[in-house]
Amino acid sequence: MHVFVARHQTPVLLIVLLGAAVAISEVGGLDALQVTLVEMLIRVLVVVGLYVFIGNSGVISFGQVGFMCIGAYAAGWATAEPSFKQVMLQGLPELLQENQFSFPLAMAGAILLPAIVALLFGFAILRLNGIAASIATFAFLIIVNSIYSNWDSVTAGVSSLIGIPTPVGPWVALAFAAGGILVAHLFQMSRYGLLLRATREDGVAAKASGVHSVRMRLLAFVLSAALVGAGGGLYAQFLGILTVDTFYLSLSFITIAMLVVGGMGSLTGAVAGVIAVTVIVQLLRFGERGFPVGSALFKLPVGSGELGLGLLLALILIFRPNGLSGGKELALIRGPREMMPEGGAVAGARALQDDSNAVA
Amino acid sequence: MTEPSAVPADPTNTDAAELTVDDLTVRFEGLAAISGVSLTVERHEVFGLIGPNGAGKTTLVNCLTGFQAPTGGRVLVGRESTVGWSPMQFREMGVARTFQAGRLFKDMSVLENVEVTAVGLGLGRRRAVERGRAILDWVGLAGKTSLRAGALAYTDQRRLAIARAMVLPPAFVLLDEPAAGMSDAECEGLMVLVSSIPRTFVCGVLLIEHNMRVVMGVSHRVHVLDGGKTLAEGTPAEIQRDQAVLAAYLGVEG
Repeated sequence: MHVFVARHQTPVLLIVLLGAAVAISEVGGLDALQVTLVEMLIRVLVVVGLYVFIGNSGVISFGQVGFMCIGAYAAGWATAEPSFKQVMLQGLPELLQENQFSFPLAMAGAILLPAIVALLFGFAILRLNGIAASIATFAFLIIVNSIYSNWDSVTAGVSSLIGIPTPVGPWVALAFAAGGILVAHLFQMSRYGLLLRATREDGVAAKASGVHSVRMRLLAFVLSAALVGAGGGLYAQFLGILTVDTFYLSLSFITIAMLVVGGMGSLTGAVAGVIAVTVIVQLLRFGERGFPVGSALFKLPVGSGELGLGLLLALILIFRPNGLSGGKELALIRGPREMMPEGGAVAGARALQDDSNAVA
Repeated sequence: MTEPSAVPADPTNTDAAELTVDDLTVRFEGLAAISGVSLTVERHEVFGLIGPNGAGKTTLVNCLTGFQAPTGGRVLVGRESTVGWSPMQFREMGVARTFQAGRLFKDMSVLENVEVTAVGLGLGRRRAVERGRAILDWVGLAGKTSLRAGALAYTDQRRLAIARAMVLPPAFVLLDEPAAGMSDAECEGLMVLVSSIPRTFVCGVLLIEHNMRVVMGVSHRVHVLDGGKTLAEGTPAEIQRDQAVLAAYLGVEG
């Protein structure tokens, strides 16, 4: 029992923490914060999804937001008003054009479609190592963006996809964020997580230990795409309107920044990074709008948000290169046997290292 | 140094009695790293492989474990051809290795390091941990299972690398300079460990080592490479008397 609690406390603590934030805002009637809170919870799901692949494999992917785009549009296709789809999205199969599907079905699509695409694409690129793999994932992001911006009859191109019902509120977002955290935790504790971390530590030695690195990476890549895609599906059904460019460079940057700030070596880091960056960006936005100090109005210059985030990222990289979490997991009880993956700490530093060549 | 404790030996995936290199050649862009080398490691022996730096020892080990495809010649596990085998296949078929550079999973625990091999070879987590503990006990790291591998003392890292290769005992293990950087006392312990491998695990050892005391002390036979070619092969006593070896390798005029 003690061992069980020690092993599985981290996800529970993280979920309780997020749950408390939702409960406080609901009870306190802080409606102004609700949009921020839901966005934050969706990003928790997305960044945890990023962590499943990047944190455990040590391969930096710039392309995961592409899966968010795929998931969001899958949900949009399922749930948008048929009257809109029949006019604007005539390239969709009739089944989708004429019907409006339920939230659970839309989410199933938002999870499955990115996972299938990840399986095919991952099969092609996950033999690559280090920076080559990272660049291939970046290419993927660009490919997805180009296709979704130009396939007018299916995605409405650069105009918006509208008429999506919005059942997603704080509790729904919390439920999915919690689910994502649990899945990520179970994966990193599993035999596949163990083997994947070994390939991150030393790819050559992992092969000599009989570990099939490409299979392990592919598994994590698909799982990551499913979680990130679910985040996209939620986002679509939170905003009610979709445009392709939402899921491009700036969102990629901010989600990766969140993972780096929190520390890509641990699940706690992924969640902490989202919270920390959200809080700081909100404070800076608040400052940009201006607030009274005595009789004067104190106002930060426009653009402080981006500048502040950049500065934060630089400071973290200089003073805490392993992120706020330092690669450690949130824990109250120490187990008799240390089961937490202590790994991670150096995943980031190693991620760009190529391990395919010299065998000595 | 006490005799290492017994470890339950699992059956390996192969009943191969010997690991054979037949007329092996490896060329890198026309430059021959190994040319026409033949040797056979038997499952009940420690087989020493020596030679000056650049003699092709590590290249040979890479060929024997799937990290380097030979340009010519054959590598056989028992009678089975290994053409096209991946490193994973070599390990699955019972050929394990360690690395000169150690290559531990530094940020994982000592136990996890050996667990990876056991799980990678298909064992369940619980049994992998059992086997892992047994093998760590055998190399003398029983009290350090939960430490971070990178935090171990240098000699302990070397021992862990051997344990990682020996968990689920292979039929053959290739040790690439396990004694590098060890003191004389530490070498003694290592020699006891290495020489116990054939008996304890029914596993042949190919030992690459620069430390002559270690190689000559534990090997049944020794093979000498120089410039990618075989210079001599024989018992340690024969090798130590061999004029060609003395001249080329030990730098003594004949």
